Amino acid sequence: MKMTPMEQFAVKPLVPLHIGGYDVSFTNQALWMWIVVGAVSLFMTLAVRRRSLVPTRLQSMAEISYEFVADMIGSAAGEDGLKFFSFIFTLFMFILFSNVLGLLPGSFTVTSQICVTFGLAAFIIVMVIVTGFIHHGIGFLKLFVPKAPALLLILLVPIELISFMTRPISLSVRLFANMLAGHTMLKVFASFVIALGGAGGLLSALAAAPMFLIVAITALEILVAVLQAYVFAILTCIYLNEALHLHEHH
Amino acid sequence: MSAPKPEDLRSLGDRLDAIRRKRQARGKGPPPTAFGIAFRFSTEMVAGLLVGGGIGYGIDWLAGTRPIFLIVFFILGAAAGILNVVRAAREINAQIAADADDAGDEAP
Repeated sequence: MKMTPMEQFAVKPLVPLHIGGYDVSFTNQALWMWIVVGAVSLFMTLAVRRRSLVPTRLQSMAEISYEFVADMIGSAAGEDGLKFFSFIFTLFMFILFSNVLGLLPGSFTVTSQICVTFGLAAFIIVMVIVTGFIHHGIGFLKLFVPKAPALLLILLVPIELISFMTRPISLSVRLFANMLAGHTMLKVFASFVIALGGAGGLLSALAAAPMFLIVAITALEILVAVLQAYVFAILTCIYLNEALHLHEHH
Repeated sequence: MSAPKPEDLRSLGDRLDAIRRKRQARGKGPPPTAFGIAFRFSTEMVAGLLVGGGIGYGIDWLAGTRPIFLIVFFILGAAAGILNVVRAAREINAQIAADADDAGDEAP
């Protein structure tokens, strides 16, 4: 058996489609994004269908996720950050469901593709910059001028600018690399089980060790899936907070 | 199940509010894991170097002055990366301190 731990990340066209020389095929990537959006919509719609005062299990799950995101925005971006609630809630649920659905055997992890995570991060940064300029006009640029002697500013302003520009990269790479590393690790250990199990004799008995590890790693991966969705959303809130309130760096 | 009385609901609401306030006073978010911290620092640093190097390379490519700006912006990028790491470390320290405070409060 050949070991192909990276094969699970391959983007394959399902319905080949070419328009004006561009490849716009419907891929497994696009399919799973639709599945994620469908799953979130279905979950939220079903959960609030009855709107009972004493919530059912499903309804309280929806309410907990709503309150969790609302609390997160309130504490990280202040009360006026709640204007962005619908955006951040959508973002959080999309990433959460992508990460969790990606753990199902045979599925495709949308967030293991850098183009998806960078697309999200680039959109967020553009939104933060536009918000900053709307709220503070040209004064938003003060964000890049720390308190320091004028001579040092020649050096410090470019550093602050570069530091700001690293945000979409660190934001997107963190999510993408976490997903990529976790799924590759699972696949590698799974191939150990098959290789050892097929070796025969005493080696076959050893196959139980990586099998046990897979169970443990799967549990860890569920934690990572939720945690990374949280980290992505809270960093968005923190960036929005800076744009809204122009906090000085200390 | 009979319909809940309004007074019961009000006292339930008050109790929920009290619990919620208590929760909000605590440190926000889950505690960072060692792996999470290491990952955070390394991405911040590498992102700084990449952006700095990229800008320098771009300016050199436009102006045909390679490698002057590449060197200058790579160094600036490294500085920005270190700045990001220091900020991240400060955030994590504050979070850990807040968690430790809570643990101290709750201990009998």
